[in-house]
Amino acid sequence: MDRSVAIVGVGSVTPTCSSTAEFAEKVFSNQSLVREWPEAKRYEKQLRSKVAGYIEPKEIGLERKYSDILEDYVEIYVDKTGRLPEKNLSYADLSSVWAMLATKDAIKQAGWNENEVQSNLTGVIIGSGAGGNEVLRPAWKNFFELGRKSRSLTSHNIDRTMVYRDAANVACFIKNRGIVEGLGSACASGLGNIGYAYRMIKHGYQERCIAGGTEGTSIETFVLFDAMQVLSRKFAPEESSRPFDKSRNGFVCSFGCGVVALESLESAKSRGATILAVIDGYHNNSDGTSDMFAPSYGGQLRLAEGLFNECKQASHHDSNIKPEIVKAHGSSTPVGDIVELMSIIKSFGKDDYHISAPKSQCGHMLGAAGAVELVLSVFMLQNNMVSPCLNSYELSNEIEPFQKSVNWDGLKIPPSEFRHLIPEKAIEKEVNSIVCLNYGFGGTNAAMKLSKYLN
Amino acid sequence: MTREEVFEGLKEVLANVNAVNRDALNSATEESDIVVDLGITSSEIVNILAKTEERFDVEFDDDDIDELQNTIGATIDLVIKALE
Repeated sequence: MDRSVAIVGVGSVTPTCSSTAEFAEKVFSNQSLVREWPEAKRYEKQLRSKVAGYIEPKEIGLERKYSDILEDYVEIYVDKTGRLPEKNLSYADLSSVWAMLATKDAIKQAGWNENEVQSNLTGVIIGSGAGGNEVLRPAWKNFFELGRKSRSLTSHNIDRTMVYRDAANVACFIKNRGIVEGLGSACASGLGNIGYAYRMIKHGYQERCIAGGTEGTSIETFVLFDAMQVLSRKFAPEESSRPFDKSRNGFVCSFGCGVVALESLESAKSRGATILAVIDGYHNNSDGTSDMFAPSYGGQLRLAEGLFNECKQASHHDSNIKPEIVKAHGSSTPVGDIVELMSIIKSFGKDDYHISAPKSQCGHMLGAAGAVELVLSVFMLQNNMVSPCLNSYELSNEIEPFQKSVNWDGLKIPPSEFRHLIPEKAIEKEVNSIVCLNYGFGGTNAAMKLSKYLN
Repeated sequence: MTREEVFEGLKEVLANVNAVNRDALNSATEESDIVVDLGITSSEIVNILAKTEERFDVEFDDDDIDELQNTIGATIDLVIKALE
């Protein structure tokens, strides 16, 4: 029999924030976490965009320790405040260090004891998007250009660069004995890993899961998106990410990590855990078009429909109630934003809810985005707040070019008609449920509905 | 360099683009839209511009690229401006 799943802990590493609490505080006080990035700025004319959502290691108590024998090679990220064992740090790229820190916070909040953490019914499902990291470039330079022997590159490159390094590192850190895997679905990865973990518990494979997404700081990742000409440029840093705004011209590349502790609702209730939210349902699908990059209105409509069908089975409250918030993917791209706006309106209606756009404040954390945004959604539920869509100063009062196409069978209404759904500042209201949406290159889409736990 | 010479050079670049409609390219005019008429996906535009810079040994201004229409004529204008 399918089981209900609760969120019992959260953790995150986010641009400019030294804690998850600080992240929530900044979001609800309408602050932008986007800054001019010195690492991008030093490449001057080679890069079009110079802004990012980033956090320097020292801003969260970490320090790069460079190798004595390999130039520019980070041998280890030192934890200045002793949160993580040195042995685990030696296996870890920055994204994995963040995943371990966020996991530690999530488990502490969940209140799991050692037996529960180290159980064969406890899984770790964490993934990443692009996989760029700062150890490979100096390693390859030393091998291919400078002719160094392979052993001079150190024995810690596979562990720090393999696709599932983040799940592997967290598993070695917490010593769980259940499923340890990471899945990749580009910018839907953060939510996708949580959705996968949710299904493992729902269908009885695991009792608990640490799940989420992480995207380590990487100029390489930034460069490759800049090459596509899809990054925001020519705005002040704090105004660069502007979902739905008429002047938007691209997204802000950001880096971070979001982790949640999931547990079967029955288990959480029986031990008297604080239940932060209940997952009503999760659905994922693909657009089914041949376009790697373009969003699909039809794909998004089918996504919402699939989520509604999944939620019909929710047992703890009436899942047919419209959510108070739809947390959009809303990445500040010229075409994607309004395609999404139209699909949201078609699926959820023209009134009586709000659209939250966290990327307006954090930028787009790629493989971590869906997970960080889910963590934020838990805070929206807990605090009865709607996070804003910063910088959405002007919504176009004309329909978009794609809405004029003969191939468009969606709404032919300009974005400005939906100003009332898109708050420019955070607002306070009763929030009982939220739908989270995230999409990725390749046409992959993910959606999850959360609700307040009603005892 | 004349517009005709730039047009021929641009056609050589376009002929090597992934999945280009060659019949449409052979009968293309300056009004032809690279995406709509030549069947090239919009994500290839960046690659076409980079190869065009290489072909004519020029460098385009980022602002000019941002405002570029997807027609062959607009791209020729861009090359001629960069050559001056």
